[in-house]
Amino acid sequence: MLFAEAVLLVWNAWHYDWLRGYDAFANARYAEIVSTEYRLPSEAESGVWHTPPLWFALAGALGRATTTIGWGHAQRPGQLLAAAAGLATCALVFFLARTLWPERRVLHLVALILTAASPALVRASAMYHPETLAVALATGGVLVAARALRTRWTPGSAAAAGALLGLASLTRAWALPVLVAVVVAVGLDALGRRSWTPVAVVSGVAVLLLAPWLVNEQVAHGSALAFNRPPPAGSVFERRPASFYVGPHTLRAIEHPITPLARNELVPHLYADWWGDWALTWDSPPPPAPGALLPSAVVSERARQMLVGVVPSLLALAGLLALGLLAKARRSTALAILPLSAAFVVAAYVVFAVRYPSTDGDTIKGTYLLMTLPAAMVGAAFVVDVLRPRRGAWATATAAALAVLVAVQLPFLVL
Amino acid sequence: MTEQRAARLGLVGALVVMAAQLSVGAAWSLTHDDLSELALTTRCLEREKGLVVEQTTDDPVASSAGGGTLRTTVEGGLVTLSVATSEAEVERLRAAYAVGGDPGARLDVHGRYVALWLREPSPTQRQVTYDCAY
Repeated sequence: MLFAEAVLLVWNAWHYDWLRGYDAFANARYAEIVSTEYRLPSEAESGVWHTPPLWFALAGALGRATTTIGWGHAQRPGQLLAAAAGLATCALVFFLARTLWPERRVLHLVALILTAASPALVRASAMYHPETLAVALATGGVLVAARALRTRWTPGSAAAAGALLGLASLTRAWALPVLVAVVVAVGLDALGRRSWTPVAVVSGVAVLLLAPWLVNEQVAHGSALAFNRPPPAGSVFERRPASFYVGPHTLRAIEHPITPLARNELVPHLYADWWGDWALTWDSPPPPAPGALLPSAVVSERARQMLVGVVPSLLALAGLLALGLLAKARRSTALAILPLSAAFVVAAYVVFAVRYPSTDGDTIKGTYLLMTLPAAMVGAAFVVDVLRPRRGAWATATAAALAVLVAVQLPFLVL
Repeated sequence: MTEQRAARLGLVGALVVMAAQLSVGAAWSLTHDDLSELALTTRCLEREKGLVVEQTTDDPVASSAGGGTLRTTVEGGLVTLSVATSEAEVERLRAAYAVGGDPGARLDVHGRYVALWLREPSPTQRQVTYDCAY
């Protein structure tokens, strides 16, 4: 399964036009500046100056190395880095499920398959973009923390969890809510064990790595969590219309899930972009259209993705709720990390999307919530494993359903 | 709490959330007529792009478009937008505009939208009309 995913992600990274990815040119400028001039870009030099620098430094250095040896494509290594991080995320989700439920192989496999077949992950893994690296590092941190919470903390495991989560936050700010969730879970665990060393080490190492970046942002741009534009004036409650919260075009978005339909309607817009390609940046004719018609297959393929996503989305939400209930009932902090991290990421994202409204909907993207993928897919796998009947025929039916889920999506997922 | 009970409760909660979202969509669809593409585009150009939209009065080709037509000015460039109802109609409109001479880059087709610009548009001018194409 992992080999097939590796082939898919490398193939896509190789064939995807890097300039079609989110903020592609701004990302390239950032990587070039940080890897050649060893400084952060100014606001005028790159539109993504507010993004932490780790991925840009790595992608830029890899790009320089390949151009030095005459390969000539400075962005391909960054795309392959994103693909490798996407693959690592799949593997880490598998190990996360195995850490939480060591004996349940079906659960591990379902979590892996659902993660590997997530369109948001597959698309992000082809882009010249830092999102997948942040998700992989954060998932690694969650895995280390969950394992330690189930067994016992050592100085090494606490430092490793803090380092991974700190590096994830040094890649994308969306890892910060995950870091907070882990610190909260470790703190709750410490209350019971009356040992505060793990909390201190996890948060200390993470802050040590992250502090220079946050201090720089505060000093240079006036806020440690600065964005590339100031928020509009006025009350935060008046920045989005009611349609943003309720999503009145939900049904229409299912049959026609592309821009501009349901633009700036949080749930349908996000759902359409997570399972499909709302902004038409994947395999459609590149915008602006060269005087040609948008092929009807482009819309129908994305409409099919909307239907494919219904059951996995339902299972993911059910799984997060179930894990939250189970963690509370059993006082299991290892389990609690997953729903906590998903809830914190979603809450942070909603605050962000409300704080920074945009007419073209550029602050609503499926990849912004990619950090919730590991928790959501482990949760979905948990529900599948718990509720599936144990008889042989049902096992076959479960396997067949997963195979169909993957097979139906392949024409969309493979470039 | 058993795992089965937690999973069932989670599933019920997820179903409630999903049903609520779909109900909102269904209620909206039942109580609101779906706006035509032209109406959606007009609203987008006016509300999101801050443009003034007018009726097309002196363009028989645009007036023959099944989905209707509008005229506006984007960054100083006058454009007549026609909405076709089929791919065949797009081709008919394209051919009709070419009868008086090839309009070249002034004629821009995007999906079922046919735009005739008074002067060759810049990429940002074209992008405004693409942003409001439904």
